Amino acid sequence: MPSRSAWYVVLPALAIPASAEATVYFTIPAAQQAMFPGATFADHSIALTPAQRKAIGAAAGSAGTDKVQRIWEARAGGKRAGWFIVDRVLGKHDYITYAVALSPDGAVRGVEILDYRETYGGEVRNANWRKQFAGKRPGQSLRLDRDIKNISGATLSSRHVTDGVRRLLVTYQMLLAGA
Amino acid sequence: MSRFIFGAAIAALVLSVPTAAQADENLFAYSYGSETLPAGGTEAYLWATDRRGKGSGDYNAQDYRLELEHGFTNRLQASLYMNFLSVRGEGLDPVIEDVDRNFVWNGMQAAAKYALLSPYKDPIGLAVYLEPGFARYSGKDGEREDQRTLEAKILLQKNFAGDRITWVGNLTGEQEWARAVGDDKWAKEFQFEASTGLGMRIAQGLHLGAEGRYSSVYVHGNRDKWAIFAGPTIHYAARKWWGTLSYQHQVNGNPGTLSSSRNLDSFTDREIRLKIGYNF
Repeated sequence: MPSRSAWYVVLPALAIPASAEATVYFTIPAAQQAMFPGATFADHSIALTPAQRKAIGAAAGSAGTDKVQRIWEARAGGKRAGWFIVDRVLGKHDYITYAVALSPDGAVRGVEILDYRETYGGEVRNANWRKQFAGKRPGQSLRLDRDIKNISGATLSSRHVTDGVRRLLVTYQMLLAGA
Repeated sequence: MSRFIFGAAIAALVLSVPTAAQADENLFAYSYGSETLPAGGTEAYLWATDRRGKGSGDYNAQDYRLELEHGFTNRLQASLYMNFLSVRGEGLDPVIEDVDRNFVWNGMQAAAKYALLSPYKDPIGLAVYLEPGFARYSGKDGEREDQRTLEAKILLQKNFAGDRITWVGNLTGEQEWARAVGDDKWAKEFQFEASTGLGMRIAQGLHLGAEGRYSSVYVHGNRDKWAIFAGPTIHYAARKWWGTLSYQHQVNGNPGTLSSSRNLDSFTDREIRLKIGYNF
């Protein structure tokens, strides 16, 4: 029989195998077709060097999580329709996976939340909130509360998604604009 | 042992609920963050604190707390606490008479917390907290008494490194009125506590950190006794529940006990606190 104080160690240890389950709203192919209907997609993922990650993080004001930025070129009618980028930002304690569609010249066409693992803050999936990003271009101001309205009660998710989209616009400007 | 098995059974029940997300979990067991539950959010907590060590004799005490918390707006949450106490002391005369108080109901508190600034969009997170309550036993010696308390807190929180590192700081003042059963006269004392915690997210859902606190008691406006505690904290959160475990060792205190630089008469050698929260 463990001593009284031993229970404090035993109980959390028993609980740790319980894993979080993600709610998946879009698979990557489904999001691609929703954001670029009828387009084909060519993988254009970029393994970011430490120097690139540092430069992007410094310019955007927030560092990214992924060492490989998952990017696809969307093509339709024999020409480039835009870029489709998948990224992750931190939620309360797990990652939020989202996708950003950019026009060929780097303007935001749309933002989709692919999966979300938190109890609270899921309001970032709200279509009207995500519409605020449409038309934002590299170099433009993109800050929560200033350019994007905060969702009260979902501030952490709102800020991290906003910071993430701003970082992807910097990524476009540095690595895709001339591609 | 039965009283502790009761606490363990409640903890096991909470943990056995299927996992699914998360919110206003406590990264630290003693210090609070400045966040509040979103409007409509509800959370249930189990607290269990084990206090032991008086420098001589045999002393251990357990404080159990059941808490229900609800977010009424995105800035305002309210809580209701139900407390239970066990105290066992032997060979501590004259400081504490021999006692074996086994899992007694020890009163209730209500609390309101209001967030003024968010750590996610303001330079620092700031909240205020007010907690009136009453107790039926002395947490130190287990003696029956009537106790009224009014506690106020200022809660600060600052996040760093993309919210992977969290610092919290609390200032707490508590006015306490206590009288022995059958006595008409209330004795007053004021407690002041400053506490802080620093935690870092090291893996999915897992934070490691440290916290410390300075606790002091004032009688008639003069500082009567104080102690400083410090120790490590571990926090783990799944989708629907979270748990925080903290070890606190008394590193300094006054007046000293048995010629040491620690106060073991009014405080204990060490405390361990486990908090488990479940989001509805």
